[in-house]
Amino acid sequence: MADLVIEGLTKRFGGVTAVEDVNLHVADGEFVTLLGPSGCGKSTTLAAVAGLDRADGGRIQVGGTVYFDAARGIYRPPEARSCGLVFQSYALWPHMTVADNVAFPLSLRKVPAAERRRRIEEVLALVEMERYAGRYPHELSGGQQQRVALARTLVYQPAILLLDEPLSNLDAKLRDRARAWLGELRTRLRLTTIYVTHDQIEALALSDRIVVMNGGRIAQIGAPQDIYERPADPFVADFIGTTNFLPARVVTSAPEGGRALLELADGQRMEVQADRAATAGSRVTLAYRPEQMRIADGATDGGAVLKTRITSRAYVGGLWQVGLDLAGAPLRLETRQPPGGEELHLWLPEAGGILFRGGADVAA
Amino acid sequence: MDAALRQVEAAPAPPPAFPREVPIQYGAALLVLVLVAAPLLPVLLQSLLDGALYDDEYTLTLANFARLARTSGFGQVLLNTVILAGLTTIVAQGLGTIAAILFGRTDMPFARTLGELFLWPLYLSALVLSFGWYAVYGPSGYLTLLWPSVLGDAPWNLYSLGGMAAIAGVSQAPLAYIYCLSSATLTDPSLEEAARVSGAGTGRTLWRITLPLMMPAIAYSAVLNFTIGLELLSVPLIFGDPAGITVLTTFLFNNGISSPRPDHGLVATAAALMLAVVCFLVWLQNRMLGNTRRFITLGGKATRPRPFRLGMLRWPIFALALLYILAAVIAPIGMLVLRAFTSFLSPMIPLSEVLTVSNFVTIFDYPVYSRAVWNSFVVSLVGGALATALIGLIAVIVHRSEFRFRNALHYLALFPRAVPGVVAGVGFFYAFALLPGLGVLRNSIWILVIAFTMRFIPTGIGAVAPMLLQVSPDLDRAARVQGADWWTTSRRIVLPLMRPALVGCFTVLFISFFKEYSTAIFLFAPGSEVIGTALLQLWVQGEVGLVAALAAIQVAVIAVCVAAVRGLFGVKLHG
Repeated sequence: MADLVIEGLTKRFGGVTAVEDVNLHVADGEFVTLLGPSGCGKSTTLAAVAGLDRADGGRIQVGGTVYFDAARGIYRPPEARSCGLVFQSYALWPHMTVADNVAFPLSLRKVPAAERRRRIEEVLALVEMERYAGRYPHELSGGQQQRVALARTLVYQPAILLLDEPLSNLDAKLRDRARAWLGELRTRLRLTTIYVTHDQIEALALSDRIVVMNGGRIAQIGAPQDIYERPADPFVADFIGTTNFLPARVVTSAPEGGRALLELADGQRMEVQADRAATAGSRVTLAYRPEQMRIADGATDGGAVLKTRITSRAYVGGLWQVGLDLAGAPLRLETRQPPGGEELHLWLPEAGGILFRGGADVAA
Repeated sequence: MDAALRQVEAAPAPPPAFPREVPIQYGAALLVLVLVAAPLLPVLLQSLLDGALYDDEYTLTLANFARLARTSGFGQVLLNTVILAGLTTIVAQGLGTIAAILFGRTDMPFARTLGELFLWPLYLSALVLSFGWYAVYGPSGYLTLLWPSVLGDAPWNLYSLGGMAAIAGVSQAPLAYIYCLSSATLTDPSLEEAARVSGAGTGRTLWRITLPLMMPAIAYSAVLNFTIGLELLSVPLIFGDPAGITVLTTFLFNNGISSPRPDHGLVATAAALMLAVVCFLVWLQNRMLGNTRRFITLGGKATRPRPFRLGMLRWPIFALALLYILAAVIAPIGMLVLRAFTSFLSPMIPLSEVLTVSNFVTIFDYPVYSRAVWNSFVVSLVGGALATALIGLIAVIVHRSEFRFRNALHYLALFPRAVPGVVAGVGFFYAFALLPGLGVLRNSIWILVIAFTMRFIPTGIGAVAPMLLQVSPDLDRAARVQGADWWTTSRRIVLPLMRPALVGCFTVLFISFFKEYSTAIFLFAPGSEVIGTALLQLWVQGEVGLVAALAAIQVAVIAVCVAAVRGLFGVKLHG
């Protein structure tokens, strides 16, 4: 195993910059997820590490081996790197059996026949596919194909493992099972892994660290809990989990950790604990997770009660989703009992909301 | 077990300074360049020289062009060429469009079967079809002789521009049919249904919706057929020459091959002129279609839109269509085969008195003819296999490599579409006369293999590329990431996956090589005859029975091939 260093990685397609100045250090044995919407540059970054695309600038190094260095004109073709890549489409060769697929990388490395057989058996047992060695890919289900693709990659012990949305072609139930299985395998093998996905649940459940990407740049790097609880900007807050955004104006300043008084567009005021310093007069956006908000039930301990208008009600199984309008900002609340009437008093906690400077430019 | 997987392998070897794909890719590109340039450069050069290309002294001049323009009758030749190509196009487009609508879009009985029969001229060469038409409608043809006894003099004359256009039109109508049909099946059926729902009747919907939607296909195939009409050699050679009607191809043939003292300057200039015109037309085709497939391979089944109801006219229209198929396709081919098995064919003599296999016996008794059949098989089998290998390599380089000049190679590989068969023939003839050391090749069948390969690279690419484009690039990327270089990936992943397409490509090339004659008649020598050249020789000698027998052999072999491929792969072959 080896660590991965990416420095200043830049890739342009024509006039479009797909990846811009990406810096990342993945430690030996670490599992890092690149997370973001489609077109954020996560797959381009992965392709640059694997050598499938030649980047325009920056440096990529795995272990002691420089894979790519634009400044020194170094570019190793994919076959001279030691990456294992599991494709979103699995890319199993349809004209070869499962065993032949797994044997291919070993035959390239001139592994002796006996050793080859042993390793194929071992790796197929690892992914619980030993009974299917003689089958052809089209005779397997999606989940089985995915396991074979992983086995074919693990069998030659690559320096780093790259996974490109490996679960996205599975249906919802199977995806849950495959995710749990992948998590288990990950703890057993401790491979240096880059995992690309647009699914926040996969990212949160599997990763040591998550790299959230947006528009070709890194928006935030951090442990799953950090990313969820302390998003760096409204984009990250919105992309990870459902978030309600509330635009407001600061009335009295507060230092970091102090108490700030905010005024909403309709004149309602609330006091919050500011996780970032707030200056009087500046515009801010307050972000809450749906589970942080509840219907005010008289007690206002350590929080603000605000008057909102109900815009919609929908039963989503076990819960009601209630659409609210608070001073022009749309909010979504989850509750067990459907509220009656036109208006609703909403309770927001004093601490726990996140304060961003400026207006929120994300659609809530 | 996990520990075994955690072993750290040695750092990967540094990439070689000189990867082996470099010689393979450059080698293939160079080979294609030589193949394509070989016939073209001598033609262009010769057109600018005052003497023969192989003379020691010559000067560059434009005099040939002036001389060609002054050649008496050359204006008439050009006029004949344009009229013949134009009339052929009109006949082909008319028949093809009507057939596409009748067989593809109406509830006419047996539409599928008739559609299949309509395609048959495409699989045969125009040469063979000409012999068939001669046997039925020629001056001593079966029907021509039968007609006067009933209705007075026969009203047709094949030895005219109109007669030639009829044969060529029937032979090229399948192309128009295919393009119109595929356009019709790709069209959203709801467009027609919307017209019907708005109150348009069958006729109005056809005229206002269906036909306008087919216009791009009709226009494209019209340019295609006009181009083929210009390049056509067989029909004018058989019916035009005896009547004194010369077109550009027969002009080239008569002045370059048949003449005892060929005027090379004149021939090369006429060839260069033809090359320029066809280049322009092919460029026009590309612009019209937006892609570069002159030879298409239809595959798969598209959903059929709802057929038009013919109502009471169903059976009368069927009768007309059947009459056409019988008169234009079945009768000529049937009569040709029948002629092969008789010593003399005439409505005046009972068939039982003339039935014989002596024509076939003669062909296999005379080494010249049996050798032609044998050579045709060798050229088609071995040449087809070699060409398939080259085409597979080109396709993989063009579509699946980072080769620097892959776009240039793609363009180059498709360029022979713009080179008429007669021009390629003249060009290779010069090239082999010019280059020392190639004398051995010149009198062997290998010169034919080389020329045919060059001619049909685009056909082969057309058969291979669509399938290659369907193979996900992830499959080769996966191999690359795992440590296979480009050549290993191509050999072990891409080419095996392309096997069905390569078999299809081989079959198309086999059929194309087997029926090719226009390039061969400039290149063959005693000992390297093929069926096409032997047919023309026998025709000149008036050996109609032997011509029919040889043509029947060609028809039979191609029929077996087409049936086998369609049975095995369910693909339709055109080209």
